Amino acid sequence: MPDNTTITELGLDEYKYGFITEGTPKFKAQPGLSEAIVRQISAHKDEPEWMLDFRLKALRIYESKPMPTWGGDLSTLESTLDQIYFYLKPQDHMERSWDDVPEEIKTTFERLGIPEAERKALAGVGAQYESEMVYHSLKEQWSEQGVIFESIEDGLRLYPEMFREHFSTVIPAGDNKFAALNSAVWSGGSFVYLPKGVKVDIPLQAYFRVNAERMGQFERTLIIADEGSEAHYIEGCTAPVYSTESFHSGVIEIIVKKGARFRYTTIQNWSNNMYNLVTQRALVHEDAKMEWLDGNLGSRLTMKYPSCYLVGPRAHGEILSIAYAGDGQHQDTGGKVVHVAPHTTSQITSKSISKAHGRASYRGLCKVYDGAVGAKSNVECDALLLDATSRTDTYPYIEIDENTASVGHEATVSKVGDEQLFYLMSRGLSQAEAMAMIVRGFIEPIAKQLPLEYAIELNRLIELEMEGSVG
Amino acid sequence: MSEPTTMTAPTPRGKEKETPSGLDFEAFAARLEQPEELRAARRAAWERYQELPFPTRKTEEWRYTDLSKIDFASYTPVRPARDADEALPTAVADVLERSGDRAGILVQRNGRVVHVELDPDLEAAGVTLCSLETAASEHPEILARTLYEARPEPMEEKLWTLHQAFLTGGYLLRIPRNVKLEAPVHVFRVIDRADALVSTHSLVVADTGAEGAVIDEFVSGPLRALSVHAAIVDGGDNATIDYVALQRYGRGVNHFTIQHLKANRDTKLTTFNVQLGSDLARADVSSRLLGAGCSSDMLALWLGDEDQHFDHHTIQHHAAPSAHSDLLFKGALTDRASSVFRGLIRVDKGAQLTDAYQTNRNLLLSEDAHATSLPNLEIEADDVRCSHGSTTGPVDEMQLFYLMSRGLTRRQAQRLLVLGFFEEVLGRIPMTGVRGRVLEAIEEKSGT
Repeated sequence: MPDNTTITELGLDEYKYGFITEGTPKFKAQPGLSEAIVRQISAHKDEPEWMLDFRLKALRIYESKPMPTWGGDLSTLESTLDQIYFYLKPQDHMERSWDDVPEEIKTTFERLGIPEAERKALAGVGAQYESEMVYHSLKEQWSEQGVIFESIEDGLRLYPEMFREHFSTVIPAGDNKFAALNSAVWSGGSFVYLPKGVKVDIPLQAYFRVNAERMGQFERTLIIADEGSEAHYIEGCTAPVYSTESFHSGVIEIIVKKGARFRYTTIQNWSNNMYNLVTQRALVHEDAKMEWLDGNLGSRLTMKYPSCYLVGPRAHGEILSIAYAGDGQHQDTGGKVVHVAPHTTSQITSKSISKAHGRASYRGLCKVYDGAVGAKSNVECDALLLDATSRTDTYPYIEIDENTASVGHEATVSKVGDEQLFYLMSRGLSQAEAMAMIVRGFIEPIAKQLPLEYAIELNRLIELEMEGSVG
Repeated sequence: MSEPTTMTAPTPRGKEKETPSGLDFEAFAARLEQPEELRAARRAAWERYQELPFPTRKTEEWRYTDLSKIDFASYTPVRPARDADEALPTAVADVLERSGDRAGILVQRNGRVVHVELDPDLEAAGVTLCSLETAASEHPEILARTLYEARPEPMEEKLWTLHQAFLTGGYLLRIPRNVKLEAPVHVFRVIDRADALVSTHSLVVADTGAEGAVIDEFVSGPLRALSVHAAIVDGGDNATIDYVALQRYGRGVNHFTIQHLKANRDTKLTTFNVQLGSDLARADVSSRLLGAGCSSDMLALWLGDEDQHFDHHTIQHHAAPSAHSDLLFKGALTDRASSVFRGLIRVDKGAQLTDAYQTNRNLLLSEDAHATSLPNLEIEADDVRCSHGSTTGPVDEMQLFYLMSRGLTRRQAQRLLVLGFFEEVLGRIPMTGVRGRVLEAIEEKSGT
């Protein structure tokens, strides 16, 4: 095994997004959660009555549900949540041009490289700072074709009927404790509509930044891909490093209608004091295809299982998950596929890397309901352990009620082999270079799926985490 | 002390039957002529049993098996009785007639061991085969370090304490240092009393370098009964043990088995669970690999029909370096039958050079059959080779078509494919006598 300095040289431990931006928010709610806070959020957003009712009902569900005892360690979360700011409004209006975004916030996003990426290679960008979207814009070419890419608040305001028809239909408030919490206090996120047959060939990106200490971010995204449409949505997340815990709990609902294709990429690089408990689910209709590409590199604890409900014949769901768990991190990630309709197919590929007391767990569900004739599903999980103190777990759930379905699951656990290192070093590579090459090779099947030429931000994160200063 | 053993007509399943005593520990424990340690262990277990809640489907390990459907209090525990020498039940005699060489035979009918037979040469070599009641008075030191010492996993504890409180019958097989059994010991449990709770135990102790095999066969006609079995298999350094549990109870029986296998330095364990009978069968099988160089092969087959439900829960716990474990569990289900496999490979910190594998394959033969598979890994050492695989699917239509084109009916072709599917496991059973007996039982169930 390589020694620790080699691993450090790989740059896997560096966190370059930990800076703090000074600034005064326009409004900051009291820490902790109460009905008054929920009413305040709703009032600030000037919401219709039904949304306030929805929030209050969700709050009651949240309060009635017990804290999960599976997955990661949530034992101190309850006390953390008492200290968390559930709503923090950084500015009065959302802007359409970076020039109008307040200086200190703009600086933050510039340091993260967002405006540059937008100019070069993105169809639209949304940026969320604390609780609100501060910037949202879509290139004219796409808005002319009827594509809608707005903040979730504007989605509700501008398209009330379409919004209400789909909102919370994929993930009801009672789905799980944290979906209920999000339903009560959601703020920010995107609303996306792709008209029939429209294919957006460069990605839409949303960027989430938490800056304040003890901050809770609860973004909510609703995406409707109408028949035959296609798009790729990317989200990235970072936060500064504080000694106190922060909390992020998003809800992402996606409806992929007949023959549509949608890909949702997350590169989560939260700082190591972040609880990241996210519910992501797509409803996939006839002949449609949904892909989740889920990269979990940051956070203290992530519990996140993007899911595809395959409800139309021949629907296809795919989940590519990559997790990196370093010191003090637990990545409890994976994916869920639920086969309801005949001849649906799915594939889950998970790769995880653990090092230095880090723990990476794969947790997944493959459920085939009676009647999903000829359904096929395949799950592959590979785990790489970089040293003797790290830990990896695999917890798949495979429930098959349909006898014509064929389902497979495979998992392997390995370390970087001494023979592999020796071979590469005998060819003249340093130990660090050899190590980096093996790690790169391990994640290659997923890394090659990333649209590197477009998603500059994402590309850089992967390089930073996986390749570092070596090479 | 004697108790009447009368043949009782089978009680229709699902129908509540009034029981004279039910789960009455005081009535059970009164006037038991047993050593103090055993009586104390029973009472402690009973007290713990009453404290513990029943696992519900909210308990992760019991998520797919609903215990609330079983009225545990409605069964009457069979009481321990002195060994007797009775004529063998026909079900047992028939099997014995057909099977080949064996090192010994032990037959338990309800609560009583009615027949013990051991090869005189082995007896002379110091091998012990006796009822657990006898072992409690004659070999208390062995029970002290095995049965009384055993610590169940949390999810096993409720049934473990029930088992220990009402422990009746069962056996101790002890093979002394370097003694090798050439043929298996064949043990039968026969239940023919309705509404009985039978808590029988298998205690297999192999000293350093010893070798042996046991077949535990569970037999009954269709009747309402509850069987709560536990096995402790304790392999000394360099010992080799094959432990086989062949469950072919009649419908109406609910069967639970908890098996704790312990491997020390260079111990070689093979366990093989076969579930054919009963309404519900749940097996918790855990291998603890405590010594370097040891190995544990864990095998299982099940063939479920009608509304049978089989639940298997396994642990391959690697606590020592350089150990090897390999699990292969295969099940075929037809009608409305369902099965669960939940397996865990746990590799402790420091258990470097572990090789651990786990495979579950399920064959669904009918529209309403369903299978759940949860192969889990928890790995805390890095220099390991671990993998698991799970597949669930139907029989291959092409293979069926081929066999049918050769003149077989669909049913015959399917049966042949199921036997072929099982062959992979049967081929890994070291002792041919054991293999033959299991194949025979499977063929009997799958019909012709």
